[in-house]
Amino acid sequence: MPPQMTDEEIVRRTLADKEAFVFLIERYEAKLMRYLERLGVGLREDREDILQNAFIKAYKNLNSFDPTLAFSSWMYRIAHNETMSFFRAKHARPQVVLSEESEILITELQDETADTTLLAETRLSREELTKALEILPQSYRDALTLRFFENHSYAEMSDILQVPVGTVSTLLYRAKRALRAALPKTFSS
Amino acid sequence: MKTDDQPKDNFAARIFGRIKSEHLVPRPRWEFVFKNYFFWTLGALAVAFGALAFSATLFRIENVDWRLSVATHSSFFSFFIDAAPFVWVLTLILFVLIGYVNVRRTEHGYRYSLAVIAIGAILTSITLGSGLYAIGFGSRVDEIIGDHPPFYRPILVTERSWWLAPEKGLLGGQVVEDASDISSFMLRDFSGRVWEIDASDLRAPDLAVIARGGMVRVVGLPIEVAMSSATSSVFHACFVFPWETHGDFRNNPPPPPLATIASTSGENAASSSNPCKNIRPYRQLRSVDDIGF
Repeated sequence: MPPQMTDEEIVRRTLADKEAFVFLIERYEAKLMRYLERLGVGLREDREDILQNAFIKAYKNLNSFDPTLAFSSWMYRIAHNETMSFFRAKHARPQVVLSEESEILITELQDETADTTLLAETRLSREELTKALEILPQSYRDALTLRFFENHSYAEMSDILQVPVGTVSTLLYRAKRALRAALPKTFSS
Repeated sequence: MKTDDQPKDNFAARIFGRIKSEHLVPRPRWEFVFKNYFFWTLGALAVAFGALAFSATLFRIENVDWRLSVATHSSFFSFFIDAAPFVWVLTLILFVLIGYVNVRRTEHGYRYSLAVIAIGAILTSITLGSGLYAIGFGSRVDEIIGDHPPFYRPILVTERSWWLAPEKGLLGGQVVEDASDISSFMLRDFSGRVWEIDASDLRAPDLAVIARGGMVRVVGLPIEVAMSSATSSVFHACFVFPWETHGDFRNNPPPPPLATIASTSGENAASSSNPCKNIRPYRQLRSVDDIGF
């Protein structure tokens, strides 16, 4: 498969030749594995199960893919929905695991705070941020993950979470406010 | 070297193996197209029903005269409870919500907020409903659909019940005959009973209404119904108002005038010491009578 082929072209090819679907899986498996981990699926085996189901579902519903959407948004949506079904079925709480990317979120929170001098002196550890994220509602965590760790635009987030763009803005605003409130007093004040 | 985020074995091959072994195939496109149209159709139907509900709402609002509530009800609040189109407004809201749920389930339905869909559905329902009312559908909906739930009575039926209460001094019906000097006239009420109406205390505006004939509402002195004969009774009229039904084009045009009224005929009656002045909403009804319908 030529690497320059777009996702949408591969989808069309897959409908004629199912083997082409392998290229879509290869293109997205690593990204989606990371996304699932960020959503809080702690065990690798669980992530693989979820992702396998997500790809199978995508394949079965390939004819419902709307080419006016980005394939990545559609695939993220399926993976996201599968993950939420997994949490519901297992009655499991997501396990927040942050790596170097936590810096992005800290920077974002700092940018919106007026007193930058004070914040520059503030040290926020990864553990503190993880604890704060863990107590946020799932919808807030989803919004923060997609925006700051997965770098999706508002329109893409709207397609993934299946909510209006206005709701995405509201979610992000509330998520950041809730996160700031959940952080240690020295940071949030 | 593979990191933890990358599959340890050939993940893609495993999934493809499952697709092959389970003979999985993509669901046909028509299923999705059908589902999409299905929900759009349900959404559109909900808006159409909302439009019918709005046409009935308009019909109800247009056909209750709050100015006469002083005669028919003890308070404006009780009149409002009786007359307001709660059922149709709730029906409109219900269908707007049904429309929202169905539009949300279409392919791109999630892009629209509740506010956008609700405002769109309400505006569409109002526009279509006004058109339906204008061509006379409001009365049909109020009658045909509204007649079925046990808790609901069409507005015309409700109003007739208000004006079939001679013991409260309220009588509605058809003017069937008048005396040449309009000192009295005959009226057939909604139960079919014929009343002789004493018109001696009526004023010019009331007499003009009688002269036009057709359906009228009469506010008079409360009488003991049991005392009157079964076939014909005398009812002392204080005010006569026209009974017009708006938005119902099945109605026959008003009948030709029964008599010509002298413009001064009511002045004496107005100044006389008539017993009508003792009826409670006299002053308000007189102002309605003066302003006219």
